[in-house]
Amino acid sequence: MAIVSPGKRFGKRLSHSKVFGHGSAGHKSTNADLNVTPLVDMFVILVLFLIANFSATGELLSMSKDIQLPEAAHTEELTLAPVVQVSQQEVVVSGAVIGRVEDLAREDYLNIPALEEKLREMKKQFEDLHNQAGDTGAFKGDVNIQADKQVQFRIIKKVMFSCASAGYGNISFATMSASPDKKPETAMR
Amino acid sequence: MAGGMDLGTSSKGGKKPLDAMINLVPFIDLMAVTIVFLIMTAVWTQLGRLQVSQSGQSTSEQEPPPTQLQPITLLITEKDLKLTVGGSQLDPLPITRDAKGRIDTEKLMIKLKELKTQQPDQAAITLSTEDSVKYEDLVRLIDTVVTDPANTPLFPSVSVSPASAT
Repeated sequence: MAIVSPGKRFGKRLSHSKVFGHGSAGHKSTNADLNVTPLVDMFVILVLFLIANFSATGELLSMSKDIQLPEAAHTEELTLAPVVQVSQQEVVVSGAVIGRVEDLAREDYLNIPALEEKLREMKKQFEDLHNQAGDTGAFKGDVNIQADKQVQFRIIKKVMFSCASAGYGNISFATMSASPDKKPETAMR
Repeated sequence: MAGGMDLGTSSKGGKKPLDAMINLVPFIDLMAVTIVFLIMTAVWTQLGRLQVSQSGQSTSEQEPPPTQLQPITLLITEKDLKLTVGGSQLDPLPITRDAKGRIDTEKLMIKLKELKTQQPDQAAITLSTEDSVKYEDLVRLIDTVVTDPANTPLFPSVSVSPASAT
């Protein structure tokens, strides 16, 4: 279909009319300008929205369908640290399966030896790497626990104890950011 | 298309028209590339963290709490919440849930605000948790004790301990 200039257009029957059509003065110009203003407006709004939501830290946690994080309103920004994933089936650190939750729940130990060992190994690697670079004291003992919301505390406490025993004392629970609860009276205003 | 600056005919005798069209093509190209980049690098899930510590664990950075402050403990069971201040236990708060299955924290918040008024310098609280308590409930209660709905800090230094250890 031909591109036509914006403006009034009458039917074919009146196209040759001297009043309504362009008459027989000449042919229509084949050049027509597209109005790009709405497109530019849309682009500008889209860019502003995306920049406002831009996260320079990237994705620190790999989201898994087995783990549904609980929601919390008063959270701090997530930092880069080793992540212990606790789903309803298993405990995983850096892609390595530590154990099945079912088995861990049955054990009477307060810690998880395999998790402790893995974290100690990671701590050693971190310290060796930073010592080579001459950066001593960089280890702060941060660890993120990414647990499913249905997991019982009996597993979480074992994970926490193992992290603390391995030197990772700064424990953070990863959560989904939610809006704070509002009282009805506040909402009415 | 809005391409090319239309500065009118360059006839020798005629005046140049004042209206000129800006070439928007490079601008639209830049916008398109920026949008694609931002969409590809966007993180759609908003994540956060709640800092906790294990009860009894002391780091070198933490100062010992002043002796005149009474320690506050919240015992979390499946059925109720029990607040203990110093040695005395307050009335247990039965757990009620909203339509989404989340713990209703309104009554607890009132008690916590009272305690904060009594001890404004107290920033620490211990959540003594039973084994059967779900992680979701624990996180909800940590979120509640840290800050009130008006974003005033209540007890930001949260320790978590197993209920049997207390």
